[in-house]
Amino acid sequence: MKYRPEICMDPPNKRGTRLSRRYGDRFVETVLFSTAIVSILVMTMIFYFLTYESILSFKEVGILNMLMGEKWHPAGDIYGMLPIIVGSLIITVLALVINILVGIPLAIYLSELAGPWSREILKPAIELLAGVPSIVYGFLGVIMLVTYLERNFQMLTGRSILAGSILLGVMFIPALTTICEDALRAVPKEFKEGSLALGATKWQTIKHITLPAASSGIIAAVILNVGRIIGETMAALLVVGNIARLPIPFFDAFDRGAIFTSVIAGEMGEVAHGSLHYHSLFAVGFVLLMIVTVLNISADLIRTKIQKKFGGY
Amino acid sequence: MKIRPVPMLAIAIAMSMLISSLFYLFAQTKQIPIVPFWEGGLLACFILVAIFTIDTHRKDPKRTSIQWKLSKILFLGLDLAFLLFVFALMFTNLLSPTSEFKFAGMSAVFGYHLTLPFLVLVASFLVIKDSINLLYGYSPGGKEVLVFYMVRLSAVFTILLLTGIISVILYKGIGAISWEFITQPHYKLGQEGGISSCIEGTFWLVMGAMLISAPLGIGAAIYLNEYSRHQKLNRVIYIAVGALNGVPSVVYGLFGLAFLVATFGISLLAGSVILGLMNLPTIILTSQEALKSVPNSLREGSVALGASKWQTIRKVVVPSALPGVLTGLIIGVARAAGETAPIMWTAVTFSATSVHKVYGIVPDVTQPVNNLCYHLLNMIYFLGAWDVEQQAWGTALVLLALVLSINMVAVIVRNHYRKKISW
Repeated sequence: MKYRPEICMDPPNKRGTRLSRRYGDRFVETVLFSTAIVSILVMTMIFYFLTYESILSFKEVGILNMLMGEKWHPAGDIYGMLPIIVGSLIITVLALVINILVGIPLAIYLSELAGPWSREILKPAIELLAGVPSIVYGFLGVIMLVTYLERNFQMLTGRSILAGSILLGVMFIPALTTICEDALRAVPKEFKEGSLALGATKWQTIKHITLPAASSGIIAAVILNVGRIIGETMAALLVVGNIARLPIPFFDAFDRGAIFTSVIAGEMGEVAHGSLHYHSLFAVGFVLLMIVTVLNISADLIRTKIQKKFGGY
Repeated sequence: MKIRPVPMLAIAIAMSMLISSLFYLFAQTKQIPIVPFWEGGLLACFILVAIFTIDTHRKDPKRTSIQWKLSKILFLGLDLAFLLFVFALMFTNLLSPTSEFKFAGMSAVFGYHLTLPFLVLVASFLVIKDSINLLYGYSPGGKEVLVFYMVRLSAVFTILLLTGIISVILYKGIGAISWEFITQPHYKLGQEGGISSCIEGTFWLVMGAMLISAPLGIGAAIYLNEYSRHQKLNRVIYIAVGALNGVPSVVYGLFGLAFLVATFGISLLAGSVILGLMNLPTIILTSQEALKSVPNSLREGSVALGASKWQTIRKVVVPSALPGVLTGLIIGVARAAGETAPIMWTAVTFSATSVHKVYGIVPDVTQPVNNLCYHLLNMIYFLGAWDVEQQAWGTALVLLALVLSINMVAVIVRNHYRKKISW
């Protein structure tokens, strides 16, 4: 490299006094600052518009009637969200069971057991799975899962809460696995080595040392996944059957049901702009947004809290 | 450990029963021809496990070791009783091809071809569990073997899922793909013609989304990582980004409907803005991750040479973080191409024609477009009414190929640079 003393000899502050350069830097900082503010702006705007559009229906129907009403019947202008809430609850719980049963073992396998060769295959496979569009899952669900359930359980229609739970549970395995694996990997090696040196088996080490140490990350991942499952639209819309009524008995997963997103996506297309139905669908969206935002923030808080308390990873 | 034929035989028989029952659980044939094999297998497993249990009990002179605790015996007994129960169900024809069960008013019927394989599946799993436990004398080692096999199963399941999705769509959809399918718009409600207008619409929507989200996202990441000195402001922005990341896609759709459609109508512009805003958190988070991994010594070196802050960022920090930033952008492209809910009411209509261009290059942003995802959704809705299944598989194949290949590029870019760059 060529040594150029005339540049290096110049004291930086002397060159920095050039106006264009100083104000150029200030200008760049302002521009970058405004891009950083955009996300706050968008978040407030989303909240504002959803509140603004749904307030009318909350006023007309009444907040308690809206949240606890046992019927969702747009043709009769009856808007009660209880069937939707119950449906979402059942689907989320069932989907989460499937999700955790496969997702966490997979994360354990990736972080503790897998050799370099199987990691090399599994990691990209998981990333690709995470990229499969939800409408493709929905399509396969309609064609294969729904017909399988229909034939096997002799149901009137295979579009059911169960189909939705299976599909959503399978869909979000990659999301859970990626975060859990990061949490498991962050546990320091010394912990595991100490346990192994004391004569524990590998599984005992994982069960009593690694998993508890990574618990904050795993719990946060599970809560985030609850938000994802509740918020997934296309796959749910196509397979849950989209009939918002309380299942009888209430644990009947083979009945048709509806969740927040499927109601909005299924009915918004054909609703008159500005009608009570339109505003009620915004109200459903508002409740969904509130639930998901609370889940997201609590996941964040839980992670930091457990980390502070137990020094987890 | 010396090889013991008795439990090994039990495990082998149980394995074959497990696999065959899994097959029949999914094949759902009305008749199950291998019922005699299951009967014999269950009986054999019962006898083998019982013999092995008594044998180990006899060989253990003090009978004080951990495996002879009451609870262990109890569970072993229960497992064996379940085996006998399933055997009896089959042997006495209590569970015949015509039997059906209904539980507690649920709207599903559990028939013969479902319950029998399921019971055999559970029974053979129990045999495997008990045999391995007995083989290892109920030590932690046996448990480890069991648990690790189950953990490995989850990995097998994932691989099967991915290959299953890809191969099914490839197998069914490849027949629909032709030059006409790619290059012609659809007509007769999608029954004929192709998907060229959808491909075009997807392309322009993604382009517009990236035009909005890339500068905003990268700029925000640079500000957060390089400039910001206020801890509180940072915290607020992080919370907002995290919350935005979790906002369901359908809520973005509602937001667009209330906010943009009122001013711009259903248009390419509205859809692009919404998709761009939806991508924003992903791009901020991935870019920031990449910027964070640039070591401080590079920045200090540049500043020590007299470069200003912006020069340092532009010439040193951003180029070093480029692979990570690029990966984030590519993932954003794939996400924007695969989303349906945010644009359903803001940008797409099924009847939209191909994109008009002003001056031949710039698309007219005020018109609605068609989109691959939305086209597929409509095909699914039409499935019962018209014969469009072939078209639907073709559309799904094109969409999946597009999204997965973009994701693949992201993976390759990252892996390539990860090997190359080492601080």
